[in-house]
Amino acid sequence: MYTIISPRIGTPGDKFEPSEETNVEALIEGGFIKSDKPSTKSAKTEETSPEE
Amino acid sequence: MATSTYLSNPSLTVNAVDLSDQTTSATLTVKYDALESTAFGGSSRVYVAGLGDHELTVELFMSYAATETYATLATLVGTATTVVMKPTSSAVSATNPSFTLTGTYLEALPVIDATLGELSSISLTFRGGVYTAATT
Repeated sequence: MYTIISPRIGTPGDKFEPSEETNVEALIEGGFIKSDKPSTKSAKTEETSPEE
Repeated sequence: MATSTYLSNPSLTVNAVDLSDQTTSATLTVKYDALESTAFGGSSRVYVAGLGDHELTVELFMSYAATETYATLATLVGTATTVVMKPTSSAVSATNPSFTLTGTYLEALPVIDATLGELSSISLTFRGGVYTAATT
């Protein structure tokens, strides 16, 4: 689900349950809420210089 | 008295974001196309309601700060969203109904409207969408 960040949505820290019509992506991009889902991106690996 | 004077606190939310403290005016017009249904024998033109064609126009102060006007609207222009208006910020009731446009289209967003010596404000028009009024 989602957590409220901005008081313009509700109480910060509370869970946010969007209605069917809510544009959730716009709220995340605008910094109003954040997703509680863990990121699905793979961990970045640091590039190292080749050994000489 | 049958009049309403708005001194401070009508409520406006756009895509669930409360923008009341940036709003200086708002007009929600509920309108249905008038389809003429006058027939032979009639002595006056008569009409029936066609498609709804509702519209909300608002004036907002522009702010580019975090979670303010620009952050709310930048990703909504060119999309359909939901707007809710109430006469006051109090809970919805028979004397404080909420008016909702669901799926209303924001065609244009003036990203900057600047005049020397004045607070920046923008005018928006939300067009179309399904209109509902609620008292609970």
